Amino acid sequence: MAVQLALRDIRKSFPVKTGRVDVLGGLSFDIYERDFVSIIGPSGCGKTTVFNVIAGLLEPDEGEIEYRGERVDGLRGKVGYMMQRDLLLPWRTVLQNVLIGPELAKMPLGEARDMAMEYLNTYGLAGFENAYPRMLSGGMRQRVALIRTLINDPDIILLDEPFSALDYQTRLYLEGVLMEAVETFNKTVVLVTHDIDEAVALSKRVVVLGGRPSHVKKIYDIDINARTPIGARSDPNFAGYFHALCGELDIQTEAA
Amino acid sequence: MAQSLSVDKSGARDGAKPRHRKPMFDSGWGRTTLQLAAVIAFFAIWEGAARAGWVSNFLVGSPVKIYEALVRSAQSGELFVDTGYTLFEAILGFVFGTAVGSVCGLGLWYSPFVARLIEPFIVAINSVPKIAFAPIVILWFGTGLISKVALAISLTAIVALIAAYEAAKDADPDLQALLVTLGANKNDVFLKVVVPFTLPYVISTFRINVGFGLVGAVVGEFISSEKGLGHMIFTASSLYDLNTVWAGLFVLMAIGFALYFLIDLIERRLLPWRQASNAPTLRV
Repeated sequence: MAVQLALRDIRKSFPVKTGRVDVLGGLSFDIYERDFVSIIGPSGCGKTTVFNVIAGLLEPDEGEIEYRGERVDGLRGKVGYMMQRDLLLPWRTVLQNVLIGPELAKMPLGEARDMAMEYLNTYGLAGFENAYPRMLSGGMRQRVALIRTLINDPDIILLDEPFSALDYQTRLYLEGVLMEAVETFNKTVVLVTHDIDEAVALSKRVVVLGGRPSHVKKIYDIDINARTPIGARSDPNFAGYFHALCGELDIQTEAA
Repeated sequence: MAQSLSVDKSGARDGAKPRHRKPMFDSGWGRTTLQLAAVIAFFAIWEGAARAGWVSNFLVGSPVKIYEALVRSAQSGELFVDTGYTLFEAILGFVFGTAVGSVCGLGLWYSPFVARLIEPFIVAINSVPKIAFAPIVILWFGTGLISKVALAISLTAIVALIAAYEAAKDADPDLQALLVTLGANKNDVFLKVVVPFTLPYVISTFRINVGFGLVGAVVGEFISSEKGLGHMIFTASSLYDLNTVWAGLFVLMAIGFALYFLIDLIERRLLPWRQASNAPTLRV
């Protein structure tokens, strides 16, 4: 499999009152073309820092990022970015929010508008294109955020616990929507999460971070071929991965 | 058993009543009626007290005489000239001051270094009661219209500057990060996140600044002028013509009132996304 994105010995520390605290202590892993990688780890292990380094929002102190064999500083403009907060601009309508990417890329807006309307239809938001975000439910807003991410046709989609603020039903539904979209559009996805269940259900590989400063503890290949997140959860291998990852994070799963 | 049943029944009947009963006058028309009644009662008592001699006609005037003063001034045309002058000065001062202040405040977002550098100076200027500048402003800009506008600007600009700067500083960093990952540069972030984010705060300063614009105009006229409502009030009071003073004050009140509603209209126009809401409101 071809490597799309390679992180090489990434180090990052942040200033605190008493000097500096090391967050990432030499992190290396590869992300393949059309990969779906989840990054999990105990809280405070620097998951979001890795995320921001890949997104190009933070510069690492040391280390290299290679994109398709070339050294880059970060992937600004190449990535789609979704967070727990939907990050819709409240002063823009749904359609205007979706069109922010094409607008910034100075794409012809007529074409982009047609595409946006098609996406909105596909994801059940037809008729809401002129509504403001505050009039929509949390699930609808997160779908708008997903469309905004997809319409920009990013090479890599970065997700930082995108569904953790939603109720379980909405979340299962959106996980399904995401998996389908990733299949259809051949995207590479990096998912940062603390939710082991979600990581196993969605990913092809799971990167476990640990230690302080953190490093890659282990990488699991998830051998589940289900097409839906619900299907994945009923796969015979699911429980095994789930327990193994809980063990990695020192979570007690069986009564001692 | 039978007794507990009847208790339940009465309980159920109680529960069927609406929990919060609206007061009888709690509707658009009801409120207007009450407000008008209060105004009429206030003037009636004032007039009655003045006629009965409970209060001094000389020191507090009377509504009927105030009305006569207004009519006299309107017939001579002076009222409209004075009102026009003051209104023009106040609006000009408000528009320029607010625009310059807001633009400067927003501009400080570009450079946190410059912002931190000049912060103490802004605080220092803001801590002087701006009205105290009036004598200097008159010396510099003369006794005409420009000095009143300048005074109004000095009052409004700093309010707008501080509000715009504080709001721009708080512009949601996650939204800014999102735009950066989509390939936005600093100008894009400024125009597409910082400015719209700041707009509601800037508009809320309009309400305060409309009042300050009037303050600047009237105080400037007090000090030295030939026209304007401030001039009318000042000369009348030196002649102990209390009714004309009141007439001027009521016209000022009417102007302030009208401008306030104008701002309301502008706000609705500029911030449509803030109006739409179907969230139920909590009644405590």
